[in-house]
Amino acid sequence: MGVLPGHVATIAELKPGVLSVHEGNNVNKYFVSSGFAFIHANSYADIIAVEAVPVDQIDSAAVQKGLADFSQKLNTATTDLEKAEAQIGIDVHSALNAAITG
Amino acid sequence: MASNAAVPFWRAAGMTYITYSNICANLVRNCLKEPHKSEVISREKVHFAFSVWKEGKPLKPVTRSDSPQE
Repeated sequence: MGVLPGHVATIAELKPGVLSVHEGNNVNKYFVSSGFAFIHANSYADIIAVEAVPVDQIDSAAVQKGLADFSQKLNTATTDLEKAEAQIGIDVHSALNAAITG
Repeated sequence: MASNAAVPFWRAAGMTYITYSNICANLVRNCLKEPHKSEVISREKVHFAFSVWKEGKPLKPVTRSDSPQE
């Protein structure tokens, strides 16, 4: 999803992933843990997230380990809640992985 | 009538959005490089006390904390 001036006013839910901010020729990439993007009619946009980190602060080894751990947890999960937590772990770590390798 | 528009898997499992969002944030915090990780790891910590009320009076307060007791 791309937002330029004049975008229609929107509230969008964000999945864990990369947010790129373009200022002139400068691009800053942030990894957003989850949250919302509010685009206002006057072309201001607000991003609300619990955690947003520059992509270069992400530790690749921790991501790989997390991905392996949660894939393992999904196999051993019994209750719906455990399965959901394992699935969230897999989703977030896959998105982190895509962010550092993308 | 079929159920409303597909619910996310975490809501189907009984989790609220705020729980989901906090779990995602914790996972991201744990995947940071040092020194950033040590700076942010304390954001997850909570410390609070609450009392159950019975017949208009509070009972003994209960303290929940992630930080070691001082």
